[in-house]
Amino acid sequence: MSYIKEYGVAVPEFRISEKTLHPRLGRKGQHAVCYSDQDIITLAFEACQNVSKEVDAVFFATTTPVFKDRYHASYVADLLKLKQGILAMDFGTSARAGSDALLMADKLIKSGEYKNILVVAAEVYYPEIGKETRSPFGHAAVAMVVSADTGIAEITRTKSYLSALAEDFNYKGETVQYDARFARTEGFKMNLGLALKESNINTSDVNQVILHSPYAKIAFGQLKKAGFDLEKQLMKDTVTAEIGNTGACHGLFLLINAIENGQGNIALFDYLNGTNVIEITNNTVVEFPSVKKGTPIEAYQDYLTLRKQGKFTGRGYESIEMFSSEMISEREKDGLVYLKGYECAKCGTVYYMNAARCNACHHTEFNQKQLEKTGTVYSVTSEYYFPSSFGPTNMVVIDLDEGGRITVQQTDDMFPTEENTINIGDKVELVFRKMMENDKKPNYFWKCIKQ
Amino acid sequence: MHKTMSKKRDIAIIGLGVTKFGELFNQSYDDLVRDAANQAVNDAGIALDDIGGAWLSTAFPEIGVFKGRSGMDLVEPLNLYGIPVTRVSNFCASGADSIRNAANALAAGECDVAMALGVEKLRDRSPQDSIVKMMVELSHPYYQKGFTAAGTFAIYAKRIMHEYGLTREDIANISVKNHYHGSLNDKAHHRMACTTDQVLGSPMVADPLTVMDSCPTTDGAACVIMVRAEDVDKTKHNPVYIDGVGLSVSTGWDLPFFDPKHDFLSFQATKDAAAMAYKQAGITKPIDEIDLVEVHDCFSIVELLTYEDLGLCKQGEAKDMIRGKATQLGGEIPVNVSGGLLSCGHPVGATGVRMVVEIANHLRGDAGDRQVKGAKRGISHNIGGPGAIASVIVLNNEN
Repeated sequence: MSYIKEYGVAVPEFRISEKTLHPRLGRKGQHAVCYSDQDIITLAFEACQNVSKEVDAVFFATTTPVFKDRYHASYVADLLKLKQGILAMDFGTSARAGSDALLMADKLIKSGEYKNILVVAAEVYYPEIGKETRSPFGHAAVAMVVSADTGIAEITRTKSYLSALAEDFNYKGETVQYDARFARTEGFKMNLGLALKESNINTSDVNQVILHSPYAKIAFGQLKKAGFDLEKQLMKDTVTAEIGNTGACHGLFLLINAIENGQGNIALFDYLNGTNVIEITNNTVVEFPSVKKGTPIEAYQDYLTLRKQGKFTGRGYESIEMFSSEMISEREKDGLVYLKGYECAKCGTVYYMNAARCNACHHTEFNQKQLEKTGTVYSVTSEYYFPSSFGPTNMVVIDLDEGGRITVQQTDDMFPTEENTINIGDKVELVFRKMMENDKKPNYFWKCIKQ
Repeated sequence: MHKTMSKKRDIAIIGLGVTKFGELFNQSYDDLVRDAANQAVNDAGIALDDIGGAWLSTAFPEIGVFKGRSGMDLVEPLNLYGIPVTRVSNFCASGADSIRNAANALAAGECDVAMALGVEKLRDRSPQDSIVKMMVELSHPYYQKGFTAAGTFAIYAKRIMHEYGLTREDIANISVKNHYHGSLNDKAHHRMACTTDQVLGSPMVADPLTVMDSCPTTDGAACVIMVRAEDVDKTKHNPVYIDGVGLSVSTGWDLPFFDPKHDFLSFQATKDAAAMAYKQAGITKPIDEIDLVEVHDCFSIVELLTYEDLGLCKQGEAKDMIRGKATQLGGEIPVNVSGGLLSCGHPVGATGVRMVVEIANHLRGDAGDRQVKGAKRGISHNIGGPGAIASVIVLNNEN
């Protein structure tokens, strides 16, 4: 048997509404968008913060990779300090990559060879400018630990049905669109119909049915034909309207949404160029790590500036290409990523950086100490000459709870408000972000947000 | 046994030279070396051939024109071959450290006539290739977004304002005072008096410090010729004497930002260096025993902190000194009558030497419009890095 043991989600702070993207269409809804220092890696890292790290495999699903020739799964495993030498795999190509990874995890757990598998899906996709309202668009990450141990939901069945037809796809960098009627009839309708038929699903046993597909209207007809009562059985989606369609992680996000909605049997049909059917049974009530109400980006100009990742301008620093020594990032990972500090064995003063002896009592022995991610502001300044799309950059000296001092930048402060202005004495929290906007290689470090 | 030197070295400064400070686009690094050296040698009434050892202070060869990486870059423009010459690098305290090294060599008998020359050519490359860019390429993430000097001291300013009720106007009035002094100095980079509102209204660099709270990026050079006090020939020389030299590295580059005990209220390095220099000079009550001071006002807040660190007033009381105009020309203890770094500019390696020349000119009675009347004893102070390294030199017109 296999279970979804734990899960976590990460959603960026900022939202762009359909109204701002296209004022004349009169559409409702909004999309979660990354701040300039977030990407699939930081979102994935954030989603994984509160799930178990005792896993023997990690799967990473995305259609918006930041690497080529490098596994995101391995990279994230390293950031999370998972043990070396475990199975790490990337899933991609289509927006059902998230449920692909979940399906594969389920199969491996059921095989008995693996005990715990971390499934991470993250998506940071920007549609072509002007086409946002017609494309799946929303940034987020989801993490799930699939385990042989009892968890919050049992995975009762996972099946996948291939389809050779894709309604639209990318070829040589260009979007290819089939004739819509042909593609939907011969592709989507056929494939979903097949999945519904072959999976022999007992529709009356299902408490919530979830459909993740760009073609909801046709799909509903298929679901009805298969015997679902959509009024009663269709899952009440409270996620999509708030953050948009999050692509490769959306199927998993909707599963979490259903788990939170109530107990019972849940069936997910995750379609894109083939259908994944995931059935789970949820017997535990879980407190959903609710998607917070974000900060709206009201000006389209700000949204455009935000999208210029790697090409920001300001203060004449366009020429600065940010690079940093990979030897140092690798060697000093304990501090830079894992936030390990040093506690004086005699007087207990905690240091973020290592030294030959304690600066307070001159004792020479230290014990490594895990630093906390919360603290109090000791001093702060706003740097107006840092290269940044959304300057000034606030530099914050923080005395961490349980000891240690760190100096980091503030983030998510695109719009300075009274609520996010950091003053001496304020409580702040560390978050893991991209250090620089036009970096030449991945470079992540801690920043802070006001609590 | 003393951990640091406790008696004075009996050294005299007999030759002074300072170039014009500014954006010297028409002068090279070598031109600046020659100008300062020739002035100092002529002032001392000696020839270059008399010099038995020299110290070159350039802090940032790599952001300038790759000049000043070793003593060689002092020797070459002067054709001063065949003697020991060493480049001294100690951030903004480099210039003062070249004088300390020269004094030590004279005291040790390594040479009889020593030269200390500081020079910095910052304006041969455009600003984005300057310190910010250098920091960006450093590897610790704290610096990678372009750690700025202004930001470092702004963090002190914010904490001090929070702790001691210092106001934004108090900080700005340092700049107002020094710009007024600078208007009297024909070698200063910026020669204009300004108002508090102008300082407050200039563009923000790092909150609360504005452009006019910050010293400019400047080219310049300064030079002194030194001998042992016993070798002074009063018929030829117009000497001033070194009463004390202290230099201390008291924090690191990272320490203030990552050490929970650091309070951002004072510079320990200044306190340590002052203690050494005062001990050698026999100073116990600086406010009564010193006539003028040059302090390292790279940013206006630094001058305020330094009043306390040098013992000119008690901790937390610096604001009263600026409010009472005690440190203005004509006040109880004039500070930065040259215009300071804010007005003269800050060619890093040259600054410490320039400040010693300034004090020496006052002790000689040669300071013109800005002369501090009857000045007998003065001190110059530098702070380097993020408040990590400080130098204090006490000068006296008698030995």
